[in-house]
Amino acid sequence: MTSITGHPAGGEGIGYSFSQPTAAPVKQHGFYPYTDNGGSTLGITGSDFAILAGDTRSTSGYNINSRMVPKVFKIGGDDETGEGAQIVLSVVGFAADGNALKERLDAVVKMYKYQHGKPMSVSACAQRLSTILYGKRFFPYYVHAILAGLDEEGKGALYSYDPVGSYEREQCRAAGAAASLIMPFLDNQVNFKNQYIPGSGEGHALEAKKAEPLPQTHVEQLVRDAFTSAVERHIEVGDNLQMMIITREGIKEVFHPLKKD
Amino acid sequence: MDHFPGTWGRPRNDVYGAYNPQYLQTTGPKTHTSSPAVTGTSVIGVKFNGGVVLATDNLASYGSLARFTDVKRLRVFGDKAVVGFGGDVSDMQYIDRLLESIDIRENYSSNGNMLNAKNLHTYLAKVFYKRRSEFNPLWNHVLVAGFDGEGKPFLSSADLLGTTFSAPHLATGFGAHLAVPILRRLFPEETPIEEISREQAVSALKDCLKVLFYRDARSLDKYSIAVITQDGIDLKEDEQIEGQSWAFAERIKGYGAQTN
Amino acid sequence: MGSPFDINGGACVAMVGKDCVAIACDLRLGMQALTISNNFPKIFNYAPSTYLGLTGLATDVNTVSDLFRYKVNMYRLREERHIAPQTLANLVSSSLYEKRFGPFFVSPVIAGINQTTGKPFICGFDSIGCIDFAKDFIVSGTASEQLFGTCEGLWEPDLSPEDLFETISQALLAAVDRDALSGWGAHVYIIEKDKVTQRLLKGRED
Repeated sequence: MTSITGHPAGGEGIGYSFSQPTAAPVKQHGFYPYTDNGGSTLGITGSDFAILAGDTRSTSGYNINSRMVPKVFKIGGDDETGEGAQIVLSVVGFAADGNALKERLDAVVKMYKYQHGKPMSVSACAQRLSTILYGKRFFPYYVHAILAGLDEEGKGALYSYDPVGSYEREQCRAAGAAASLIMPFLDNQVNFKNQYIPGSGEGHALEAKKAEPLPQTHVEQLVRDAFTSAVERHIEVGDNLQMMIITREGIKEVFHPLKKD
Repeated sequence: MDHFPGTWGRPRNDVYGAYNPQYLQTTGPKTHTSSPAVTGTSVIGVKFNGGVVLATDNLASYGSLARFTDVKRLRVFGDKAVVGFGGDVSDMQYIDRLLESIDIRENYSSNGNMLNAKNLHTYLAKVFYKRRSEFNPLWNHVLVAGFDGEGKPFLSSADLLGTTFSAPHLATGFGAHLAVPILRRLFPEETPIEEISREQAVSALKDCLKVLFYRDARSLDKYSIAVITQDGIDLKEDEQIEGQSWAFAERIKGYGAQTN
Repeated sequence: MGSPFDINGGACVAMVGKDCVAIACDLRLGMQALTISNNFPKIFNYAPSTYLGLTGLATDVNTVSDLFRYKVNMYRLREERHIAPQTLANLVSSSLYEKRFGPFFVSPVIAGINQTTGKPFICGFDSIGCIDFAKDFIVSGTASEQLFGTCEGLWEPDLSPEDLFETISQALLAAVDRDALSGWGAHVYIIEKDKVTQRLLKGRED
């Protein structure tokens, strides 16, 4: 044992005891930097449109923080009105991370436009979002993100992400608290999974019903049905349904009331 | 003569025993606030026609000890914004210093104070989010009241994680459980705030503070209340909860199932 | 180790229609992610129009189904009549509660038609016998969340036996396809006052 002076301590007379190595356990952090704010989001694409929707309830535990906290954001538009945006992002999970992610992507898309003089394509934005999420691989944004817009051919484009940036282009995707309730319903009603063409054959020869892009009004109704169903059975989903409908004409945002219980 | 300055002024080991080196632990991670120490309880707020009211009690607790009974937890920013603090009081004082320096800087700038309550809330939320991302949180849950850029009444919440939300009426901590249901019953969310008068809003908050005093063990009957309107802030910091009735208390027996 | 309810996997659902009820289950039996069998039905018959579905720990599914076979046989011998679905519900409830502090890890579902009243009846239970009387549908098993979503989305009141079959089949297949622990085909029973139709469904085999 040595003291700060380099002399052996505790020998005779006065001893001192600064900075002796101890076997004291290393203190653990008691701070958990995440919380779950509940809610659910859902996106479906068509041949010339994409719809991104989410409920507007914000929860912590069994408390409802607010009945009007939107989860779907216009990206790359005017700060206040969102005007000029062509891309929409939804984030569900930890709302503070969601906001931070939204603001970063928004800044990136704006910078792209200023630097290149043209709006960022959805596919480029999708790749960039993946990079942003993976950039925080070891302290992730605790969110499930969905990105929507129109691709270079004008077709509806939808990309869904895990919290660390794995992503995939899809026809439809549900995320958040009620994802497990909504997703199988979508498989059945959008991609016609487990549906066969009546009279097309006997037994194994039955021909599966092919998925094809649905008309916009039909998709809107499916989204509303999916959410009214989710509200019935999930306590973190409710209050209002926010829908962003992306078409060639621009982005239309509509709200519908959901049950508030 | 002791020739080792390092020991000068130290209690002698032969009298007081060896110094416990655990207090001088130099290994391990840099320590941050991982739990609050001196804390304030609920903050409650409600919007009304032409403004916002915000209220807190004047208590700063040290665990279950009512340590400081005259702590002002409503802080005025500029001339049209108020922040109500719940959670750690030392972190509150740090944020208060932060806000004061911003306010001074703003006042030296070309055209006076330009930050409204909405800007202030955005700023505070980002400070909270930055600190939580550094694993060194400011242990507070705050309500920001005032006006937005269009001059409409503004009330919003921000907490130690950077979570933000806004509603016609808000409450932090115990108030989220006890005051919000009262406020939601008095002022249903679908009714426009134009139909709520200043008097109604103030009396509703006083009722909420009373209920909180009845049931929140970390609360006090002395409170502060701030009414923010376009004419300025009416801040009272030495109020007393009035019209208490503890008649209900003697009927409380057991945990509810017990009837006699 | 995870919850005993999630080791073997499986799903079951019951629905009410107009003068009919339906009950359906998947056929998978696994050990965690490994599929052991693709022919493990989870619906058991206790009277001409009374069926019990059991999901959860497979060993308990066998034990409990046999236990009720015994109890219902004893009931029939003593009473000289078939057990009504409501009576079976109370028998299940009290039998499960007997094991309040060491329960069977099963989530039962009952579907049937009461032969006296002619009315459809469904109900579900937790593992210690709390009855959930529902007017629309009951779900249970590892795909219960998915089933809640599909049933809430597809079910409507007063379905005919044919439409009820289509609804329950689509609800079950769509749900189990989003659950890694359920699937591999299904059994569906459509129960009418004096007719029961059993159908075997082929599903995804993954």
